[in-house]
Amino acid sequence: MAIVAKSSKFGKYGRPTLAWIVGLLFFFPIFWMVLTSFKTDADAVKPEHLIWFTPTLENYLNMTENYDYWRFAKNSVITAVMATLFTLFVGIPAAYAMAFNPSRATKDVLMWMLSTKMLPAAAVLYPMTFLTKSVGLFDTKFLIVMVLSLINLPIVIWMLFTYFKEIPKDIIEAGKMDGVNTWGEIKEILIPLAWGGIASTALLCFIFCWNEAYWTVRLTTTDAATLSKLIEGNRAPEGLFFGRLSAVSAAAVGPIVVLGWFCQKQLVQGLTFGAVK
Amino acid sequence: MSDRKLPRLLQTPAVLLLLVWMLIPLGLTLYFSFIRYVLNNLRRPEWTTPSISNWRGFGNYEFVLNNKDFVLAIQNSLLIVCSILFLTVILGVVIAILINKTFPGQGIVRVLLISPFFVMPAVNAVLWINMILDPVLGLQGIAVGSINDLIGSLREAPVIGAFFSLWPELEPISFRATQTSAYAVIIMVTWQWTPFAVLIFMTSLQSEDQQQKEAAVLDGAGAWSQFRFLTLPHLGRPIAIVVMIQAIFHLSLYAEIEIVSRGNGNKNLPYLIGEFANNNIGAASATGIFAVILANIVAIFLLRMIGKTLME
Repeated sequence: MAIVAKSSKFGKYGRPTLAWIVGLLFFFPIFWMVLTSFKTDADAVKPEHLIWFTPTLENYLNMTENYDYWRFAKNSVITAVMATLFTLFVGIPAAYAMAFNPSRATKDVLMWMLSTKMLPAAAVLYPMTFLTKSVGLFDTKFLIVMVLSLINLPIVIWMLFTYFKEIPKDIIEAGKMDGVNTWGEIKEILIPLAWGGIASTALLCFIFCWNEAYWTVRLTTTDAATLSKLIEGNRAPEGLFFGRLSAVSAAAVGPIVVLGWFCQKQLVQGLTFGAVK
Repeated sequence: MSDRKLPRLLQTPAVLLLLVWMLIPLGLTLYFSFIRYVLNNLRRPEWTTPSISNWRGFGNYEFVLNNKDFVLAIQNSLLIVCSILFLTVILGVVIAILINKTFPGQGIVRVLLISPFFVMPAVNAVLWINMILDPVLGLQGIAVGSINDLIGSLREAPVIGAFFSLWPELEPISFRATQTSAYAVIIMVTWQWTPFAVLIFMTSLQSEDQQQKEAAVLDGAGAWSQFRFLTLPHLGRPIAIVVMIQAIFHLSLYAEIEIVSRGNGNKNLPYLIGEFANNNIGAASATGIFAVILANIVAIFLLRMIGKTLME
């Protein structure tokens, strides 16, 4: 009896308290970065201004001057948006074909697509540099868009496939009766029906593109450099610029963290390839 | 005929793109790994252009296998990946069970917890190594400094002062140093990926059979045996998947290692490939092939597991 009473008391107060502590601990580094971003560079390294300080917006206002933030941010937005659109443009028809007209090879094709995702990028580092330099694509936004698309295409097709499979075939077939052709089926029946799934797939794809940190660093110098490259280039400020570095970091991850909150569920599906339900 | 053929053709662009993306670079890597190919060599300028006449057989592989850095990189890759897996799985299971039951603010706690996963790797590394782990100016340095100040002032106190004067000064740890840089990477990646494990384990816990649990409680099963004999077996599959997906991702860690110490004392395979690629392309390519083999060992198991659930 005593044990039951004790455990229920833990369940009522102890568990929520502990859960909140864990949640706050995990969020703390992000909170700390945001807090530091409102300190001047001088205040940021003074123990006496750890918590009490006069907040300032100067780090955010000077982001352009200090880091040329908006140029990198623009590249990040352009490449991530274009890559997401292109991935959907190629991925939707492919997932449609696999979900509604599967053949015996469909399963193997899907598995093979996933296996391309599992190749270590570093293994093809030099060939990629060599090829892109020799055709003049090195450090172009076009190249980054293509690379980001191809990295994410397997996951996008996979996610769309799992969404499309849930749609009853009859609905698509009904379109055929009405004399709608294949493109019409995709455009007028499939996309409106699977809109939610497509949107969350796109969101996740966008997040992955934004955070990509191997090719965007190794295949760019200036013209196509994204925020990953910007932050990587300012890795060691030696305590001089904690304030301004925090501000530019917060500006680089803020929008994505907020977007991420909206697609937690899809994240599980997208990253486990539907193997955990 | 066209009724089914056209729809099927719609997957060709995707397949072709991925085929080109995979085969051409990988084929080149394979080719370069069998020839002598360096970017700078004044004595042997013919080696600076890739050509079949510079055939070296397995020479590059031998060179790499006998290279001290390669052995260290493999060891280090395994140290980093295994430590991260161990920590994220344990923390993930504990936290998932902790927040699985409803409590006030559950939604907010979930949002707080998942946030680190969406932080871009470069920011993750810059934030931890500077603002948090820096031995002087980061939180670590400030914390160690203030503890030392506290002990120092206690030494002046009457009676208990004698006791505290026996205490040593605390030394902050420099996480950019050769011996410790791997641990910095382990800490920051664990922070980033524990939320991922939590999210997946929580998803899986929601499908746990509650009736079975209630029956177990009626039979007098305690919390531990419920966990040991019901929850843990139920989590077996998700744990396996979390382990394999993370293994594949973390075998190719790069940004964190570059930012923490530029590979000082902490090279993994991708980093070593990057270093070789500054000059010795043959060696870089052979190392790349080893990395592919290593990743494939994990990938085969993962794919088999995914394949089972695919057509359900």
